[in-house]
Amino acid sequence: MGLLELSRLTVHYGKALALENLDLEVREGELVAVLGSNGAGKTTLLKAISRALPSRGAMRFDGVDIGDVPMHQVVARGICHCPEGRRLFPELTVLKNLQLGAYLRDDRAEIAADLERVYALFGVLRERARQQASTLSGGEQQMVAIGRALMGRPRLLLLDEPSVGIAHRLKMQIFDSIRAIQQSGTAVLLVEQDARSALGIADRVYVMEHGHIVRAGTSAEIAADDSVRQAYLGV
Amino acid sequence: MLDIIIYGAVISAVYALLAVGFTLIFGVARILNLAHGAFYALGAYCVYTLTANLHVPLVIAAVIAVLLVALFGIAMERVLVRPLRRLPPLAVLMMTLAVGLMVEQILLLIFGSEARNVPSLVESSFNFGGVLLSGQRLLAFFCSVAILGGLWLFMQHTRLGAAILAVSQDPEGARYMGIPSDRIFSIVMGLSAAIAAAAGVLVAPFQSVIPGMGLLPLVKAFAIVIVGGLGSIPGSIVGALLLGYTETIVAFKASIEWSQIVSVAAVLIVLIIRPAGFFGKRAAF
Ligand SMILES: Nc1ncnc2c1ncn2[C@@H]1O[C@H](COP(=O)(O)OP(=O)(O)OP(=O)(O)O)[C@@H](O)[C@H]1O
Ligand SMILES: [Mg+2]
Repeated sequence: MGLLELSRLTVHYGKALALENLDLEVREGELVAVLGSNGAGKTTLLKAISRALPSRGAMRFDGVDIGDVPMHQVVARGICHCPEGRRLFPELTVLKNLQLGAYLRDDRAEIAADLERVYALFGVLRERARQQASTLSGGEQQMVAIGRALMGRPRLLLLDEPSVGIAHRLKMQIFDSIRAIQQSGTAVLLVEQDARSALGIADRVYVMEHGHIVRAGTSAEIAADDSVRQAYLGV
Repeated sequence: MLDIIIYGAVISAVYALLAVGFTLIFGVARILNLAHGAFYALGAYCVYTLTANLHVPLVIAAVIAVLLVALFGIAMERVLVRPLRRLPPLAVLMMTLAVGLMVEQILLLIFGSEARNVPSLVESSFNFGGVLLSGQRLLAFFCSVAILGGLWLFMQHTRLGAAILAVSQDPEGARYMGIPSDRIFSIVMGLSAAIAAAAGVLVAPFQSVIPGMGLLPLVKAFAIVIVGGLGSIPGSIVGALLLGYTETIVAFKASIEWSQIVSVAAVLIVLIIRPAGFFGKRAAF
């Protein structure tokens, strides 16, 4: 049984259809990537999962229907969303940003332990802890955003284009840390423009176009698919 | 000179109390709350009713008054404002105006238009180098500073305070953390109402308690917040000092009547020179 199971998920923006009858599954501890060009509906998909957008269709997490629980309860159940554009609190310190990721938790000792884990994953954040988030570089801000989502102690981490606009070296570091997050037992649903890097770390991949899933398979299968190679890898 | 410094400090502290709540609910929920003056008037009338009619001891009456007005603020947000949030902001603005007018009319119906007296907690006066200050004004000063300090500590050192700052900086980002922004709006409206009511309670003994007493404080809070930048708490404290001292200087050098024009003039000047206010970047603390 999958950790997250979506079936016939449909999302509208007003009258405009953004996702239609979408089926998707993420299993326990799995790293699943979603590829697709601009406007395919990737962000919409993640927002529907974290209940930032209303949707129709079935949505089960850990066997329980989450189709109509409010957004903060989705977080409490263990789905943490690192949103597109990071959405840090710019005038709060890095530490406050990270602590706010644990807003719904009361286990102080465990929160402190998770903070150490985030610092172990992203060493610079420890040095920057007392700095305003807005004074960090783009890559460092992305680390804060991922770290903040981890502070919710997710069983499923949703990442929306974590590598966008980031220099190559930091980008590699971020992909390495996503891998490390998965290896520590957290399932990850990763939306990414950089198809090559995503295929490199994902177990399975879905390809989206115009609000539909057009291909699904293991990373190896998708990487070998000619139309995917043309569209996303440029070869 | 010393009189201006002392009286200006008292006025500024009370103004800061009024403006901080007004700017807080704007910064967090983007509500321009025209019922803010009503909170202040309700605070004064609650303490009046509790002491004069129900014979509750003054200190206890003051605390009850603040709590009741906080509940009123929360109820107003839940019942009247929240259903309008999906409409254009003008709807919320009109609703807060309606609440403000309604409160004034209800006070008028119940208490009539004559001024009511609230006893001072401290009857004696104090002499500061030749300047005589009533104990109640001194109390108002110290309580205002203590409330502002308490608010600062609350915002800096509690989880709820951090969540409030987070919602003010990025409400959508906050929702991804599981911070229920609707509940935060209610809490902040309650907090803002409580602080305004505290101002009303503190000044009630030396101001005339009449149904329309909330209008001028609303105008003052508005002016201060325009000067300091909407949504900025440090800005509103600086704005309160500027307005409080300018008014006091004008009152001492010209007349009380002229001092009431200061806030309006300040708004005009700031809007012409620097429309975002002097702290326009929303630096919350
Ligand atoms: N708030 C909105 N209101 C109306 N339409 C929207 C809204 N947000 C997105 N859309 C539309 O829904 C479709 C999917 O958008 P979405 O943001 O999910 O795409 P995406 O795959 O994340 O794209 P990108 O790679 O550019 O981030 C697009 O056609 C977009 O124009
Ligand atoms: Mg997107």
